[in-house]
Amino acid sequence: MYFRMIRGALFRQKGKMLLIAFTIALGASLAAAMLNTMLDVGDKVNRELKAYGANIVVRPKDSSLLGTIYDAEDGGGGSLKNAYLREDELGKIKTIFWAFNIVDFSPFISVRVELPGGDGAEMVGTWFNHRLDLPTGESLDAGVIGLRSWWDIIDGEWIDENSPGARNSVMLGALAAQRYQLKAGDKVTLSGTAGDIEAIVSGVFDAGGDEDEQIYAPLGLAQELGGLTGRVSSIEVSALTTPDNDLARRAAQNPAALSVRDYETWYCTAYVSAICYQIQEVITDSIASAVRRVADSEGAILDKTRFLMILITALSLVGSALGISNLVTASVMERSSEIGLLKAIGARDRAITGLVLTEILITALGGGAAGYFLGFGFAQLIGRSVFGSAIEMKVMVIPIVAALIALVTFAGSLPAIRMALRLDPAEVLHGSKA
Amino acid sequence: MNRRRMFLRMVTASLLRRRSRMLVALLSIAIGATILSGLITIYYDVPRQMGAQFRGYGANMILLPGDGGELTIEAAQDAMSVIEREQLIGASPYRYVRLDMVSRQQSFMAAGVDFEQVRRTSPYFNVEGRYPENDREVLVGKFIADTIGVRLNGVMELTYQPAAESPSEGLREGGFAPGEVLSGGAEGWNGGRVYVSVKIDGDGFIESVEVDASSQTPEIGGACETEDFTSRFIGKKLPVALGVDVDAITGATVTSAAVVEAVNNASASAAVAGSKTINYTVSGILDTGGDEEGYVFLSLDGMAALAGGSGSLDVMELSVSAAQDELERYASIINEGGAVAARLVKRVTRSETAVLSRLQALVFLVTAVVLLLTTICVSTTMMAVISESRKEIGLRKALGASDGGIRSEFIGEALLLGILGGASGALMGFAFAQLVSVNVFGSSITFQPMLLPVAVLVSMAVTCVSCLLPIKRAVAIDPALVLKGE
Repeated sequence: MYFRMIRGALFRQKGKMLLIAFTIALGASLAAAMLNTMLDVGDKVNRELKAYGANIVVRPKDSSLLGTIYDAEDGGGGSLKNAYLREDELGKIKTIFWAFNIVDFSPFISVRVELPGGDGAEMVGTWFNHRLDLPTGESLDAGVIGLRSWWDIIDGEWIDENSPGARNSVMLGALAAQRYQLKAGDKVTLSGTAGDIEAIVSGVFDAGGDEDEQIYAPLGLAQELGGLTGRVSSIEVSALTTPDNDLARRAAQNPAALSVRDYETWYCTAYVSAICYQIQEVITDSIASAVRRVADSEGAILDKTRFLMILITALSLVGSALGISNLVTASVMERSSEIGLLKAIGARDRAITGLVLTEILITALGGGAAGYFLGFGFAQLIGRSVFGSAIEMKVMVIPIVAALIALVTFAGSLPAIRMALRLDPAEVLHGSKA
Repeated sequence: MNRRRMFLRMVTASLLRRRSRMLVALLSIAIGATILSGLITIYYDVPRQMGAQFRGYGANMILLPGDGGELTIEAAQDAMSVIEREQLIGASPYRYVRLDMVSRQQSFMAAGVDFEQVRRTSPYFNVEGRYPENDREVLVGKFIADTIGVRLNGVMELTYQPAAESPSEGLREGGFAPGEVLSGGAEGWNGGRVYVSVKIDGDGFIESVEVDASSQTPEIGGACETEDFTSRFIGKKLPVALGVDVDAITGATVTSAAVVEAVNNASASAAVAGSKTINYTVSGILDTGGDEEGYVFLSLDGMAALAGGSGSLDVMELSVSAAQDELERYASIINEGGAVAARLVKRVTRSETAVLSRLQALVFLVTAVVLLLTTICVSTTMMAVISESRKEIGLRKALGASDGGIRSEFIGEALLLGILGGASGALMGFAFAQLVSVNVFGSSITFQPMLLPVAVLVSMAVTCVSCLLPIKRAVAIDPALVLKGE
């Protein structure tokens, strides 16, 4: 009998129930869309912030910055002797615990070269779009094309390391190109400490900084000119990180001072200090340090963006909750004559409450499920059009939306049912109070 | 006249009579308007608020000397006057000079800065210890500190040597100016440093020596501060040799040797004409992970005291909270003046524009989605309100009301709801946006007066449009059927 009554209510009042289901679906979709977006926005903005370049720099333990600070030439002896990292270890960076968070990285080596009819210039050997085959079977294009997104190519194009002529191509900074009167396609003879090489200018870039005076070349070319085969002087790493907290700051001082439990939490969280620590573990005699200008600002911006999204989400949740409960209340009030009739033929208050609640909850379930998928669609729309990538489906959104809908429907219908029950059946049926 | 009064009375009476029902409708409209105005306010404020956060990346504009001229603080301030005051987060002057630490045979770049401004333009500077507070304190980059081995609160003697055409040209041959005071330092017992001031007489002989051996064991090395020891230097010519010119104190040979070395260092540093040495206290060690770690920072006045020539700068870093096109406009205005050249720091401006436009697009889309859904929610509520009053419509029709009259009455009701809900929502929305702004960004926002009419108009339009369909249906029904209750 109970089921038949519910079925009857659901199908007889099809239009009304559909309206309720529709509203609930809308509310649920709004909640689901916002929650999905909110949970993923940190990751998305984090990727956008990679435009600022590397947030970790790896240097050899012994040389630090001395070479660049003092403009010291090689071979001076004493404490200015340059130390190097090993090129063959570069791939190991993609094998650390947080390898997945490493978006891009590139080695650098700087050598002095002479150009005909001019004085010396600094040549930087690096990767442009170096194809890296990882032990996991994946491959990755790493290099400065990703790490120097603010460079403008004003003539020619980026060096493509996969093309056959890349080995002997160089790129010039705008000021260097002007000084040596070179443009894309020109040939130039470069002489380094270990030999001469004739190279082709692939492109000219405007970096708006010191790089404009430099010459950029593939790593192999620079190593050959400088007689430094297999060596790199620094590595820049761009990694997705979690904003620092107290634990991360303590760990950055001295990881060994942490308790075992804290150490594990720290090591298994993508703090910039933890990633630095793991890079040091795999690269021999290296010091990896966070570039504070990038790492700190990133943390602040990420925190703010997340907080902003949380507040907007909260607002939309309140909005959808009120929308749903409004309509549920209205629909229960409308049925006061039906409730009066049930009372008049002897139904108990509890039975009536159960009946109405079941009906509404079944409707809510249908609406909520439809709404969740609709909301996920909205989230994808946001993700695609703003960030150009899909928004990940988070499982935890489902229970949150379900709980929200259940709570809101209960909160919306219970007071209305109570009110309807308090009415005198005779009056309701007579129609004088409806 | 009568008609209009009747119309008004019917509209207001129906709102008042069904108070709870109408309150619910009003609430939903108000919430819709709140969300609308709140999000729009945030949308317009995101670039400004987030822009301030992005200033954490450091200066986005630099001022350089114009063609052939030199950059003075006055000229830079003159150029900066085109930038609106509240947009200028910080303006940090830099003057670079190469300084030597003779005792360590090291030389490095020193930057003369205004620490107050550096804190604003480079908030990412992480200082262990504290920023220098007077002209005799320095901030040392971590790499320099590590290489040279200076520690927090340690002393660094920095020497300025004016650039000479050829190294030998500036060298003075043994003779120092009468009464000239030289200072130097050297490492003594257990890594502590001793410092000396040496006064030279007119003939190039040592007139007096003062020793600071406070880092040494007081009972042993401390003896080197006594006149008994310092008097042994008087009348000697530089450089002095231990054991030949000066005998060490028995039991404190390490400290004695350090004092002799410090005296010789002092003479070596003074061997170049115009050079000057000053002892500085290391008040902080700078950790940035970038090139700044290879510099020593001291105040502009401190640098002028050492290297002379105050007022002239190498570069002025500006941190301006403005979008890229606005920055470009400022730069072109400044460049037109000619006295000062302005450049944008591409790395910072370009990336900021990219990220900020994404964020703004995000808030925009979220606003659009939320607005769409709340509009539908408001309309369903309005539909429910109207379909509830079918009986009333039937009665009115039975009493002879025209369809047009009923329609305009309901639309009037909807409009009234829209105005009330929209106005209150706009205010609540502003309060919400203010709450967000204060909590997230720690700054308040200004109320956009345009928002009030927009929110009211949008809510009126939404309520009106959502009324049309149910009214049409309600008006079409047969009064007899409705009144009978079927």
